[in-house]
Amino acid sequence: MANFSIVGQRLPMVDGPDKVTGRGLYTDDLALPGMLVGKILHSPHAHACIRRIDTSRAEALPGVKAVVTGRDFPNRYGILPIGHDETAFAVDKVRYIGDNVAGVAAVSEEGARQALELIEVDYERLPAYFDPEETMKAESNWIHDEKPHNIEKEYHHQFGNVEQGLAEADLVVSERFACSEVTHAALEPHSTLAHYDPATDRLTVWSSTQVPYYLHLTLANVLGMPKEKIRVIKPLIGGGFGGKSEVIPVEVEAAVLSRQAALPVKITYTREEVFYAHRGRPIQIIELTIGAKRDGRLTGVKARIVQDGGAYCGYGPVTLLYSGALLGAMYDIQNVQFDGYRVLTNKPACGAMRGHGTVNTRFAFESLLDRVACELGIDPAEIRLRNQLQPPCITVNQLRVTSYGYPECIRQVVEKSGWGEKRGKLPYGKGVGIAGSHYVSGAANSIIRSEMPHSTVNLRVEDDATVTLLTGASEIGQGSDTIQLQLVAEELGVRPDRIKLVAADTERTPIDLGSYSSRVTFMAGNACLAAARNLRKQLFEAVARVWGVSADQLEARDDRVCAQNGSGKVMSFEQAVAAARQQFGTLEATGSYAPPAEARGGKFKGAGVGPSPAYSYSAQVAEVSVDTETGQVSVERITVAHDCGRAINPMTVEGQVEGSVWMGLGQAVQEEMIWNQGRLMNPSLLEYKSASTLESPEIVPILVESVDPEGPLGAKEAGEGSLAAAIPAVANAIYDAVGVRITSTPISAEKILKALRERQKPQARGNGGRR
Amino acid sequence: MIPASFEYFAPRSLEEALQLLAHHGTEAKLLAGGHSLLPMMKLRLATPRTLIDLGRIRGLSYIREDGGRISIGAMTTHAEVESSELLRRRAPLLPETAAEIGDVQVRNRGTLGGSLAHADPAADYPAALLALDAECVLTSQKGTRTVVAKDFFVDMLTTALQAGEILTEVRFAADSPRTGSAYRKLHHPASGFAIVGVAARLTLDATGKGSAVSVGITGVAPKPYRATGVERGLLGQTLDAKRIAEASAQATRGVEPLSDLQASARYRAAMAAVFTRRALAAALGRAQKQG
Ligand SMILES: Cc1cc2nc3c(=O)[nH]c(=O)nc-3n(C[C@H](O)[C@H](O)[C@H](O)COP(=O)(O)OP(=O)(O)OC[C@H]3O[C@@H](n4cnc5c(N)ncnc54)[C@H](O)[C@@H]3O)c2cc1C
Repeated sequence: MANFSIVGQRLPMVDGPDKVTGRGLYTDDLALPGMLVGKILHSPHAHACIRRIDTSRAEALPGVKAVVTGRDFPNRYGILPIGHDETAFAVDKVRYIGDNVAGVAAVSEEGARQALELIEVDYERLPAYFDPEETMKAESNWIHDEKPHNIEKEYHHQFGNVEQGLAEADLVVSERFACSEVTHAALEPHSTLAHYDPATDRLTVWSSTQVPYYLHLTLANVLGMPKEKIRVIKPLIGGGFGGKSEVIPVEVEAAVLSRQAALPVKITYTREEVFYAHRGRPIQIIELTIGAKRDGRLTGVKARIVQDGGAYCGYGPVTLLYSGALLGAMYDIQNVQFDGYRVLTNKPACGAMRGHGTVNTRFAFESLLDRVACELGIDPAEIRLRNQLQPPCITVNQLRVTSYGYPECIRQVVEKSGWGEKRGKLPYGKGVGIAGSHYVSGAANSIIRSEMPHSTVNLRVEDDATVTLLTGASEIGQGSDTIQLQLVAEELGVRPDRIKLVAADTERTPIDLGSYSSRVTFMAGNACLAAARNLRKQLFEAVARVWGVSADQLEARDDRVCAQNGSGKVMSFEQAVAAARQQFGTLEATGSYAPPAEARGGKFKGAGVGPSPAYSYSAQVAEVSVDTETGQVSVERITVAHDCGRAINPMTVEGQVEGSVWMGLGQAVQEEMIWNQGRLMNPSLLEYKSASTLESPEIVPILVESVDPEGPLGAKEAGEGSLAAAIPAVANAIYDAVGVRITSTPISAEKILKALRERQKPQARGNGGRR
Repeated sequence: MIPASFEYFAPRSLEEALQLLAHHGTEAKLLAGGHSLLPMMKLRLATPRTLIDLGRIRGLSYIREDGGRISIGAMTTHAEVESSELLRRRAPLLPETAAEIGDVQVRNRGTLGGSLAHADPAADYPAALLALDAECVLTSQKGTRTVVAKDFFVDMLTTALQAGEILTEVRFAADSPRTGSAYRKLHHPASGFAIVGVAARLTLDATGKGSAVSVGITGVAPKPYRATGVERGLLGQTLDAKRIAEASAQATRGVEPLSDLQASARYRAAMAAVFTRRALAAALGRAQKQG
């Protein structure tokens, strides 16, 4: 075990005190002199042409300073280079209820509201598409003219030979799974404050974003302004979960309104607007087939996935590709086939949500694997161990696996949950289930297809021997600031409170791609290490010269620099800094990280998504009890082991793992966006239930440290990988408890009761579980 | 999320409030705890021109017993009902029901009168009031009248309250000896409202037979109702688990269960039976404990 002094400590999160005392400033807390309130007119129709918009009455209303429609800013944008299909406001067509038609900036919120009511829009309604399988049959009136049959993208991957693999199997099982749509429900609604200053022709934007850099690029494009005229700042964020990882309409709308009004404009979404902005986890229909030998070895897996994307591209194709790329890759399966369709419907666009793309397929796969184990009479924990990868290795779809704590995760949860004494042995109505999941530690290929480093940080030692850490990485509550600080403090051997963070301000901090795909600890972390090592090198050089020793004999630790040559020479960090300043003047260093070429995956179409420098793994045992009269499930306990490579801060890792489990449980048993003809029937937190601490079962987090060879001090992803397994673990536990398998999410009480009743019917007996 | 503008009055007496109500007519809304009205105003589902706040009127918040009859002032909060020692001893069904309403914040602000007057089909109190055979006291400038709970709830969000009337008090008989009661509820996972809520009160005679049985059900139909089919199956019978289970199957007889996002009509009907049985079984156990 390496001998660290700051890494591995349960350091409280550095942004914690400001948040819990209410001192911290979120975007909506900010105000500027003369600031206007922005409001958006949303489409009442799911699919319609805009024949005419008359804004004259709104413009004439006293207090209204700007009214903007689609024609004013028609430049297209989108998070993926292949998906620039959005505009600040609809140009001639609306594509979902809630689509953005016009914006108003006024001196008061009430005035802005009134102005919206004065905008007249003539719509010509078009046939609308809501069902993902039906929309693919559309022959005309496509949602985007350039996307025939409303198919945004399709991918067909074949690795090995699946037909042969299945032919060699002793058991082949198939099932159709259906996952409902869920959304992030972050506490903080999307909010943007934009300030266009006509005197300097500069735009400053404060926004609730996980990706300040992409927002910067998008604003330059939409407004037609040079990048250097725009500055994006990320204040505190009240949760993102992927919902703020692409540019959300409010961000460009506040900017264009400010540009038009030449005054600061703030827009904060209402909760209903947050629900309609969405970008959450899509409906997926997954037809899955798994083949296995009698001993449980998997011979092939085949999936056909139809993904209901909503009306715009967003991250959609990436979501779909993750579903395929990570389908079989946590096990040793030599034959994998994936056919995926990302289709367009007249609903808000789906996008990235914690566990991006992997969650629904994991639910399907781990549920079906449980069935394979049961039908073969193999312990479900054991069947997973029998199919483990042998790393270092490259999976059949060319993902490079460098560290693999999954078997250890399984062993740990089996032991700590009492699996052996419980599985199949608890009284009727109680049961346990096991499942696994995995996730990327950042994408090895940048979504903007750039070759520049994915993260860069700068360090600067100030006169008072504090160290300023300038990083583009975005703290969104996941611990990004704290982890970077711990890594730098460790490498420099200084007290953590010497380090002052300046983060996520595109004018002052170097480029970081953002907080998504669980990339920050791995990538910004590696950049921090590189920068700190550069800085330390300079420091040692200076000290070595003072002492007349060689720099490689020095060590920095506990706020001091010492010689390791038996001389007993010691110098405080301040003295070392003073010595370095004498010699070099300023003391600065930079470090960056780009994923290595070997981690970047194959060359086939769609190969760019899935490759990562390292993968996290999770195994979970859920213990549930089912009320067989009401169908209600109560999750009593989750034992979860997460392979995070190295826990730089065990407390924040545990927090992330527990949060992931909660979020997974929400989707497992209750969360669902319910649509009726493109209208969301539950757009509020009094109707859409996301799990809170109140409903949390006992969660027992176990950290497995596989020490990845390329991770920062061995660390890997911790914020997402444990989400997916929670859902199938619960589903499998329900099967153990009452003998029914629910193949759709959420696993509602009503579905369970129905399944229990159907099983009681005499003709439905057969493979009905252990009872 | 801002309501339309309105005029606000905070009368100091009931007379003043009645006057204002008479003067402003249907343009006015009474404001009690605000926990149903204000959300509706923020969503602009309600846009009253005038609000008459009952919060400054003394003497509308009390719980007392007089000769075996309990009376509760309309402005008594859910929290006060929940924690009332008197009610816990003399009519424990009501505090048990109050404890199931919303969360702490809602219970600290929401009032008995507001909940009843609002008549949300998923509200909890109505089930208990029905089971308690309560009567509602309605006051207007013309005087007061009383309406029994069964007639007070007219339809979804509609009560027997007429223009110019304020619900001022709720009254009912305290429990007699050998009486047990219970409230059992299937919560809406997000809002906490009742998908099904069943309040049961029963009294045993010396031989263990049910001499009085009442079951009030909320959440299931457009308005709360007495499950008379269930009651008939138990009245005068020796009560045990089996008989209760049989009778509970009648929980939705004569009503058409609602179907919504949270539960289909079929599921609601099934749950009405399950929660009726559970409430009655708990009530029976408590009655028996009193010997
Ligand atoms: C988050 C949340 C969760 C909730 N969960 C539940 C729950 O689980 N179960 C439940 O039963 N309720 C629930 N409620 C509703 C809550 O109980 C309300 O407090 C109650 O329904 C209304 O009481 P109020 O005093 O707040 O009335 P107000 O909101 O002030 O008024 C409601 C209506 O009644 C009228 N009114 C008020 N007082 C009188 C009077 N004395 N005479 C005539 N008319 C009057 C008003 O004009 C208005 O139309 C919840 C509310 C919230 C916000």
